[in-house]
Amino acid sequence: MTTFTADVYQNEFLALGATDVDAVVTVSASGAAPAEAPAGAAEIVIIDASGSMVHPSTKLKAAKRATAAAIDAIRDGVAFGVIRGTDLARAVYAPDGALVPATDETRAQAKAAVDDILASGGTAIGTWLLLARDLFERTDAGLRHAILLTDGQNQHETVEELESALAACQGVFQCDCRGVGTDWEVAELRRVASALLGSVDIIAQPDDMAADFRAMTERSMAKGTADVALRLWTPQGADVRYVKQVAPAIVDLTDRATPLDARIADYPTGAWGDEERDYHVSIRVVAREAGDEVLAGRLSLVVDGQVITQALVRAVWTDDPELSTRINPEVAHYTGQAELAEVIQEGLEARRSGDEATATFKLGRAVQLATEGGNEGTLQLLDRVLEVDDPATGTVRLKRHVEEVDEMSLDTRSTKTVRIHGTSP
Amino acid sequence: MSGEVALRCPACEAPLLADDRFCEACGAAVATASADAGDACRTCGAPATARGPDGYCTVCGVRELAGARRVELDLTVAAAVSEQGRTHRRNEDAFCLEVVGAGVVAVVCDGISTAASGDAAARAAADSAAAALSRPLDEGADLRTATAAAVLTAHEAVHRVPATTKNALALPSCTLVSAACRDGEVVVGWVGDSRAYWLTAGDERQLTVDDSWATEQVADGLMSAEEALADRRAHAITRWVGADAPPEAPQLTVLAPAAPGRLVLCTDGLWNEAPGPGDIGSLIADLEPDATPAAIAHHLVDAAMARGARDDVTVAVIDIRPPGGRAP
Repeated sequence: MTTFTADVYQNEFLALGATDVDAVVTVSASGAAPAEAPAGAAEIVIIDASGSMVHPSTKLKAAKRATAAAIDAIRDGVAFGVIRGTDLARAVYAPDGALVPATDETRAQAKAAVDDILASGGTAIGTWLLLARDLFERTDAGLRHAILLTDGQNQHETVEELESALAACQGVFQCDCRGVGTDWEVAELRRVASALLGSVDIIAQPDDMAADFRAMTERSMAKGTADVALRLWTPQGADVRYVKQVAPAIVDLTDRATPLDARIADYPTGAWGDEERDYHVSIRVVAREAGDEVLAGRLSLVVDGQVITQALVRAVWTDDPELSTRINPEVAHYTGQAELAEVIQEGLEARRSGDEATATFKLGRAVQLATEGGNEGTLQLLDRVLEVDDPATGTVRLKRHVEEVDEMSLDTRSTKTVRIHGTSP
Repeated sequence: MSGEVALRCPACEAPLLADDRFCEACGAAVATASADAGDACRTCGAPATARGPDGYCTVCGVRELAGARRVELDLTVAAAVSEQGRTHRRNEDAFCLEVVGAGVVAVVCDGISTAASGDAAARAAADSAAAALSRPLDEGADLRTATAAAVLTAHEAVHRVPATTKNALALPSCTLVSAACRDGEVVVGWVGDSRAYWLTAGDERQLTVDDSWATEQVADGLMSAEEALADRRAHAITRWVGADAPPEAPQLTVLAPAAPGRLVLCTDGLWNEAPGPGDIGSLIADLEPDATPAAIAHHLVDAAMARGARDDVTVAVIDIRPPGGRAP
């Protein structure tokens, strides 16, 4: 049985008249026991087999090796399958149209089927996801996870078709997305990953793919509790400004609320293993008088309809500016991390559209924020697209020649955050 | 009950009926309803059942602790009354009063409201200090040593009070004034600006010297008492009980009266409304000379409330009779 705890970090003191209450909530899960019920889990690997995957041919070969590595990491008894995606979706391994429990024999059969995949045709990601959904829905598994690999843009269906597929898949399974090469679109894949509560990353070198697929599968196998929701109660007259996961990566959950009544809503967080995640909650409440204390939010975690832990977000009004102006370090850190992701994406967008002044300003600010926040990895990526003159003030110049893969890596990883003090707040 | 103030269990959020004392879904205790309309939420008017066990209204979120507006205890030789101030949402004062053999132990604390959990800090300090005083009092030990030790115990108890949020700079804290009374000897100890007074027929003497900004300014000759009290920093206390305060020994004063009288312990909610010399005594000038400690405590609290007490008011009154002396 997984145990959850929630800790709140905030400055609960508000100046008179102030209405916005910000808090960082760290949720820790421990004691996840995935081994108890392998039949409760299901895994699907979706690989892009569009014509471009053989240009160069190393891409498809690497994708096959990576899929084999993922299959090897699936625990005995976990239902699994493999989908070949082009402008159509086809289950290359799902005998009799169903996922099968992993055994040495079924793993060998699946790897043989993967080895026979030929590349031809286009890209229709929504179609691939809908087939995965059908296969998942035919199992009893509660923990459902997919890995999606693509090398190109979603050219063979409309944005509306993709959105409607995503809506149909939300809450059915989670999906980690990977882009290989530089012909895919970061924003598009990020949209798919965030809708399906998964990660997104770039695989710069096809040879790195197998290790990444194995790691993703192992992480998925370590999950013990499916469909955990963050429940937020707010008082009458309050507005939830936003609810975001802010570590390990930024995922805005605000629009994912399922209201239970006027004051309570559930936000999906997906499946949990032994891990810690941080959430930033911002609530606008009715201002009250000096000395008044209000419960601005009651956060709890809901597993199988059971409320299992609670954390309180409070507001206390004071006329003492020394209290109300105090900066909570956790809230400040994650406010900076969210701005960092924003200015990287906006800076790169400006650069692509030829607006060098905006690009220089935004990416300069990114260097400053990444320096303050201790985002070593992001700084290294920024260094490949910028000449950094002074990281403290964000004085930078755009590099004349930038490798496409460096720009895409920076964009893709912009939402990855570091935790305050490096580990946990 | 209208649909607008739908009640939910504070523990699991299952729907509740107005009269539910326990949640049907999870069994959690729910604050009980009362026919007294005064128990409804003072902010949004939701019934008492809407208030969670942690004191927050489940409709508007405003915190107000149930049943703590006025607390009274009458032990005949001693009595105490505590009432929530008019502008407070909960009473952050606490007292503990015990008769131990022929002696009396009293502790009055005022939770610091700009810190987290001031009410819990005051409660913990009053209970732990009184418990630490009662045994030495019973065993005939030195009351000055016992009082200093009891205040250290209170520091430790407040240290263990969990702040509701992890806010490193606003740790739970409170003031404390204690009295250990045995065989006509009284030892008063204090930290902060809660006070002790000695009242005899027609006379009043303040036994404590506030650990406060105003008192220090006056003591250092920097301001007159009027100027200091008019300053916004007047009530800033310079010593307190809590994790972020150095656990210094309390200030002590020893009283061995020749004639009977009444010892009064109080929080600043009372003396704010009666700030001048002799003001406390004049508040009870109307009472009969043989009024009980309970009558005096009621009278003082009522007078402070009638003067519009913004802060919580707590008063403990103890009859002190020198050995062989007559009743006051």
